[in-house]
Parts: sequence; C-alpha cells; structure tokens
Amino acid sequence: MQVRWLLPLGVSATVVAQAAYAVQYLTLEQAQQAAFAQGSRFVPVATTIDTAALGAPSGWMPLVWRVQRDAETIGWFFEDAVIGKSELITYALALDASGKVTSLEVLEYRESHGGEVRLAGWRNQFTGKTAADAVALDRDIRNISGATLSCRHLTEGVRRLLQLYAHVLAAKP
Amino acid sequence: MLHRILALAVAACCAGVAPAVHADDTARKSEVEALRAEVAALKAEVEQMRLAPVRDTTGAASAAAAQPPATATAANAVASAPNPGTTSPNPGNAVGEGTTLWGYGQLDYNRPTARPADAQFDLSRAVIGFNHAFDESTRLYGELEWEHAIASAEDAGESEVEQLYIEHTLAPSYGVRAGLMLVPIGLLNEHHEPTQFYGVERNFVEQAIIPSTWREGGIAGYGNTDSGWQWDIGLVTSPNLGKWDPTSDEGRASPLGSIHQELQLAKAHDVSLWGRLNWLGVPGLNVGAAFFAGKIGQDTSRQFDGDANFPADNSRLLLGEAHVRWQSGPWDFAALYTRGTISDTQDLNLGFLGQPTPVPKSFWGGYAQGAWRALEWNRSSLVPFLRYEEFNTGASYAAQPQGLGTPALPTQRVWTAGLNYYLNPNVVFKIDYQNFRYDDVLLNYGNRFDLGIGYQF
Repeated sequence: MQVRWLLPLGVSATVVAQAAYAVQYLTLEQAQQAAFAQGSRFVPVATTIDTAALGAPSGWMPLVWRVQRDAETIGWFFEDAVIGKSELITYALALDASGKVTSLEVLEYRESHGGEVRLAGWRNQFTGKTAADAVALDRDIRNISGATLSCRHLTEGVRRLLQLYAHVLAAKP
Repeated sequence: MLHRILALAVAACCAGVAPAVHADDTARKSEVEALRAEVAALKAEVEQMRLAPVRDTTGAASAAAAQPPATATAANAVASAPNPGTTSPNPGNAVGEGTTLWGYGQLDYNRPTARPADAQFDLSRAVIGFNHAFDESTRLYGELEWEHAIASAEDAGESEVEQLYIEHTLAPSYGVRAGLMLVPIGLLNEHHEPTQFYGVERNFVEQAIIPSTWREGGIAGYGNTDSGWQWDIGLVTSPNLGKWDPTSDEGRASPLGSIHQELQLAKAHDVSLWGRLNWLGVPGLNVGAAFFAGKIGQDTSRQFDGDANFPADNSRLLLGEAHVRWQSGPWDFAALYTRGTISDTQDLNLGFLGQPTPVPKSFWGGYAQGAWRALEWNRSSLVPFLRYEEFNTGASYAAQPQGLGTPALPTQRVWTAGLNYYLNPNVVFKIDYQNFRYDDVLLNYGNRFDLGIGYQF
C-alpha cells in the first residue's frame, strides 16, 4: 500500500484533534430531569452510612436526593462513582417511591475501553430491579464482552445503592 | 424555603420581562432559559452547601464540597482519590495525580502424557500496565511484559513493550490513538488477561493463525454508537516477509507470529489497514468481524541491508476474522473463524526448496467453546468448559513446477476440557486436559495435562 495518499488523512485527523471534549454524557441536572417529571423537587439527604454493614468500602459517600412532588415522596435519586478498568465512571440511579430502579444513566466515562456500559440496552437491564434482586453480573445482569470490568463494577455499585435504600432510606420518615 | 424565594424571584423576573419582549417570542424563551439555568445553578450551590458538613465529616471529597455536584465529581475523579464505590479493592491503583497501575500474570504447568519427562512449569508472563491522564481527553496507555521469568543474553525469556500509545478523545463516542497498539481482531487479542479466557493456555487459533498479543505501530480511530455498534480502523506497520526463516519451525507454528515486527526497528515501507465492526446492541451478545490487510514485502530487494534477490516485494497479506459470543446467566458460548492468505510467494518458496518451512498461501482456524458457571459462592466460582479447535498453518502453498510443490499440512484438531476456579473474579486457578489429533514434538503438540495460575488487578 502506498502511504503518500494517506498523508492528507493524517493531517486532517490532527486538525480535528484540536477540538476536544470532556467525555461527559449527561450533566447531573439533565439526568435528574430525564428521570423524573417536571416540577419534581430534589431534596438532598444527609445519611450516615454504616459501610461495613452494607459491604461497602469505608468512606463511601454517594450523593442522595429525596425526590418530592408537593409533600409526597415520589422517588430517590443517587449520584455515585465506581472504577471501570482503571478510572472512575460517574453514574446516576433513580428509584421510584417503592425502591424500584426506574433509570440508570452514565454521566461521565473517562476510558475508551469498556465505555459500552452506556449502551441503553445494557442499562435497561436494571429497570425494575429492587434490593430483593440479585443484581449480579452473569446472573440477572448480562455482560458486555470486552467491557467485563466496567459491567461488573457498575453492577456492584447499583446493588450497593439498592441496599442503601433498603436499609437506610426506606426507613426514613 | 430558599427554593421558594428563588422560584418567586424567577416568576417576578419572567412577569417583568414578558411584556417587554412580547413581539419576539424566541428572545423571550431564551431569556427564560437563561434564568432557569441560573436558578438551577443557585439551587445546586445551596444544596451543596447544605451537604457540605456531612461530606466533610466523612473526609471524602471535602475539597469538592464548595462546587456544584457535577463539577465536584469531575474534580474528584481527576484527583484519583481513594477509589470510592467499588468492593473489588484493586481494579486500578492510583499512584499519583492522574496515573494508575494495573497488571496481570500467568504461571503454567504442562505435562505431556506421552512424554512426562518434558513436563514444564513456567512463569509465562508477568505484566505491569499503566495509564496516565494528561487531561480529561488525552491519555497514555502502556503495558510492559516479561515472559518466561528471566530475560538475559543466556536466558530464553523476553522483555517487551506490549502496548504504548496516546489516546485522544474527540467526542464522547469516538477518538484517535497513535503508537504501539493491539490489533483489534478476534476475541482474545485485546482481552488476553488469564482471568478472561478458559483453559491454562490461550486457544490455539488465536495463537497460530492470529498471533498471540499481536500489536503494530501506527494511528487508529475508534468509536461506538448508541445502537451498539463498535468500530475500529487503523493504519499501521505491516509484518515483514523478509524475516521469514524457512529453516525454523516458527513459520509453521504461527505464520504471522514469525514475521510480525512488534515495532522493534520495524521495516516500515509497507503499511497495512485494519478494521473491525462489532455489534453489542443486545446485552450478552458480541457479534463482529475484522480484517488486517496490506503489503508485507517491505521492498526487501531494495533495502540497504536487504536481500537484493528477494522475489516477494509485492507480497500481500489479507487476514479476515468473524466471531460471535453469547453470555447469559451462567452460560458463555463463543465461536470464531479466521482465514489468512499471503500472495506472490511462488518465487520466494522456490528459493526455499529443500527447507522445512516454506511460506503458506493460505492458513485458517476456528473454534467453538462453551462454559458453564456450575457453582458460585461468595465471590468464588467454578466454571467447567469445553473447546473444540481446528486449525491449519499451511492449508495450501503457491503452485510450483511439477514435483517441487509443497503438500498442505494436515489440519490439527484439539479438544480441551477443563475447569476455571475463580477464587475471586480477579484470581483464577485452572486445570485442563488437551487432546490433539496428531503429535508434533517440535511445536509442543501432543496430549497433555495443564495446571495454571492467573491474576489480574
């Protein structure tokens, strides 16, 4: 193959490369609006988490919001991060008032490998899951070949948030 | 309370603004949008201030507390703080601002049943990988490997750079890479950690036909779409047919493995193109195909230190591959087929007459594999598997004058039955038995029993 005719390709690639974006798919606000109807209020919840009881690493501190319409709690919203292969994946999880997953969104993904966890088909597997479900990779959540670590860690993250809901938030008045 | 005041303020603003821009509907809308955005930002700040004391007491991300949540997590991430939110302690280890270390290793014990004296225990590979984020969109990936424990002038080991490339994200769904990269072909080449495959050794097809851990240097683009397509395209160094050694068994063990250059003072006159398309749109399914194509003669006859009589300057390689993998519940099925051709080898092989290893015109291989997670407890699991492979590294040779031609090699068939025992998802102990259709002592083909240890972090 002659290289000469490919040189313009390389040059144009270099020019395009100057226009860089951070790999943020959704902002927190966009994810909140997508998960709950307009007019919902997101009230931050301060929780003290017994990480040992939940099997979570010490220092684990996801952001938690109670979602309200008027005085009624209509759901819960979380922002947390897990490691993919070697860098963080920031994601948002929405539960309805009964603790069922209504949506999982990947907010930021930094590696190129394993980024397939943001595919809607994969994330939709979590819809309807509760703390009573296994929520385990290769059990009730299917893997994406080539993105195993990201799939496993994100699945573990969702399971942990469901446990947090069941053991801490569900009991809150 | 604050929310209500803010909401009232917005309402008042809107009421005031509305009549003034009555004529221009779009201008009014954009102003309201802007105000909404401001209110949202204020809300986020207020919420964050309310959360601050709580976050501070945990000692986590206290620096981020003064910022709105979205930016807070971004700042948090770049600082590669102690990994929040993962129960597996070590998928990646922060060593400094933006730098993480990872690795894997593999130790294999092989015992040929017919020749127990040839039993061998080998530290096949120890790998240290690293990546460094220069900023949100530019990263360096590197992988350093030691094979067979000791590399020195007197020892058989090798020390090598397996990958080293810069990756730049252009948009959330695509980017470019430049450097030494793994060829995106097959199921194993890019994901070759011992925890990712069944059996002590990698499958033969992805060692003999697709070279094991095959990498080339150049530039590449990658990306994916929301509908589940994953694409890769690259312009990279070609193998060098001038390296072919007709006296060695290497070309029979793996034709491409014996002439790929791994960016070691690689002849770079000829370049190749690689391409891959995968579809991952249904969870658990991976179906795709890939190719690698280019000239591999490297103009050897015109090289300063080349062979002036080299007759295969125009030789071309075309390697194609297709695969499917289905993982659902405890089941994991995979199948792969690959076939390669090398053109213009007739004159070259004529010069190799009488030597044991001419250059093949075609070579191919395929396998089917099934695995079942039979038992699972805590983080451990037992996964028996069965694999059937067929491959031929010399399926045909270029035609030669009557009586001088090389007959095709027999097709090798291997059954592998075994068990992966995952102590946890990142540490695996393996046992298997391999049954070969024919023995070949030089290539280590022969029924055998294997034990292995593997890890990944």
